[in-house]
Amino acid sequence: MSAPTSRLENLPFDAVHAGLALLVLSVVFLVSPLFVQPPGGSFVFFEVGVLFFLYAMILVGLNLQFGHAGLVNFGPVAFFAVGGYAAAILTANDPYQAVGLGFPWPVGVVAAVLAAAALGVLIGVSTLRLRDDFLAIVTLAVAEIVHGLIIAFRDVTGGTVGLTSVPRPIAGTTDVGGGAALVSTILVFAALALFFYGVFRRLSSSPYGRVLRAIRADDQVTETLGKRVFRYKIAVFVYGAAIAGLAGALLVFYNGAAAEGFFTIDVTVIVWVGMLIGGAGNDRGVIGGLAIIMGFQLVTRFFNDAIPFITQDQFASIRLMFVGLLLMLIIRYRPEGLWGDADRLGVES
Amino acid sequence: MEIPLAQEIIFGLVIGSYIALGAIGFTLVYGLVNMINFAHGEFITVGAFVGYLAVVFGGLSIPVAVVVALVITAIVGWVIARVTFEPMNEAGAVPLLLMSIGLGLVLRNGFRVIAGADRRSLPRDVTTYRFDDWGFFVTSQQLFIIGVTLVAVVVLHVFLSRTMLGIAMRATSDNEDLALVSGIDTRRIRNAVWLAASGLAGVAGVMLAVSQSANPTVGFGQLLLIITAAILGGAGSPYGAIVGSYLLGIGITVSVAFLPSGLSELNATMAFVVLIVVLLVRPGGLVNAEVRTS
Repeated sequence: MSAPTSRLENLPFDAVHAGLALLVLSVVFLVSPLFVQPPGGSFVFFEVGVLFFLYAMILVGLNLQFGHAGLVNFGPVAFFAVGGYAAAILTANDPYQAVGLGFPWPVGVVAAVLAAAALGVLIGVSTLRLRDDFLAIVTLAVAEIVHGLIIAFRDVTGGTVGLTSVPRPIAGTTDVGGGAALVSTILVFAALALFFYGVFRRLSSSPYGRVLRAIRADDQVTETLGKRVFRYKIAVFVYGAAIAGLAGALLVFYNGAAAEGFFTIDVTVIVWVGMLIGGAGNDRGVIGGLAIIMGFQLVTRFFNDAIPFITQDQFASIRLMFVGLLLMLIIRYRPEGLWGDADRLGVES
Repeated sequence: MEIPLAQEIIFGLVIGSYIALGAIGFTLVYGLVNMINFAHGEFITVGAFVGYLAVVFGGLSIPVAVVVALVITAIVGWVIARVTFEPMNEAGAVPLLLMSIGLGLVLRNGFRVIAGADRRSLPRDVTTYRFDDWGFFVTSQQLFIIGVTLVAVVVLHVFLSRTMLGIAMRATSDNEDLALVSGIDTRRIRNAVWLAASGLAGVAGVMLAVSQSANPTVGFGQLLLIITAAILGGAGSPYGAIVGSYLLGIGITVSVAFLPSGLSELNATMAFVVLIVVLLVRPGGLVNAEVRTS
């Protein structure tokens, strides 16, 4: 570990405190008449940034599940979607085609977390005894089922049209227009992401996290040591589900709408690839990995206009090809990721 | 209009047929290479495009195109597997799974860059045979799909039960270490498996190009159904995969009659529910395979 990072370790406050402080600051900023109007060309940075913080929240849960406890959850987007739709259905006012109950937004947030956690319990209890690769398939199938249900039950969810008229609590407080709401949103989301990053990091660096890593290494031995392995697995699964659900609620409150297009398998792929680039199990590393893959998404947006003879569709495909190629190269040549620990992960590099 | 049960069963047999062609290969790879290959759907797509090119630009008849697609897809799939999966043979189930997801992304989007999202259909020359007394009709195209699958199944059965290579394959699938000490060249077996699985995927691809279209996601669209069928039949068992495929195919079409009309497009979703239920209630599928850890 290099000098600057170890100095970072020794700071008198950690990410939880920093997150809380930033949250307070951003709320103060929100209620104050102050606002920041970003230049028009920078909106794309903010939009990708907002997604980065939401995906980071999903990722800290996923990293606890896979990086620390070894649970191959291939459906984080399912919990993200359930959270998003739970929040949207409860809070939307008179949507075009769907159910909107018009409750205030905090009800939506709570419902999103509870709904996603409940799905986590349901899936966890029934599937966590399966072998790794079968768990991956089941969780992926769950994500597909959720997606299928969203499209099929159009009377409730709005189907492919989506569910509009969802309140936008953050944008609502800054009604000066332009990109001012975007700045406020990104501040709040960053604060929340930092806070939850800290909470999950505390969890993983405590004795609790050591039990999880023991489970990943050998769950039968851990069981013999008197740890209720299955209970730990369920708990970790539910924590990850709950935070993904919260992220889903934040997304619909940011967009003022829920649509099936926000919750496709691409979310799962991006979060997984970010985790693998950074090095599963390294809490800071995975965020770095996510920054790299999201940075790639951002930078390549500008390439689109620069390269002639390529349609937008083709460009999107080429981008996904690179994501796939990156995944293959990482798995093949650096399975521990950029910052991961090969010995601890038990992979051969 | 009410569709008679006999008709639903015919539709189910057709769907079951192309699921079976994919599921046999998928389950062979699972049993012998010990990996869940998420890129298997892309091998099918290769077959669909090869078949399309052979018919439209090569001027070949569809049966000949099936053979061409079988051979070319077998070689393409084998080469891809040599380059991507074989070097990390020992890495374990999850890294191989992730590798195949990456490969699937690259291939699927590669097809899209080259071919665009257009749906290309093969020229159709369809005769319909009506059996009004029994309340169903069947087209020559449907008979062709079911027939080709039956031929493939019979050839596979003869191969697995009568040839040395096939018997060695089954032995390796049962117990790789035991096969190795009995003098079976397991590397040769793995090569054969990749060729066979990709070849069958190629045939499945042409069937899909015939009945639907050749497009970049035609194979991927079948993947979860294929996985469901393979697990339903007991992962690793080719005969189980065949049974699982037809059960699933008929189950999908017949269930339409029982679902409320607005939810009929849910039948693919229902298949995944079936997958989860099977894994929970009878994780070994129809025959017994080991998928639980504790």
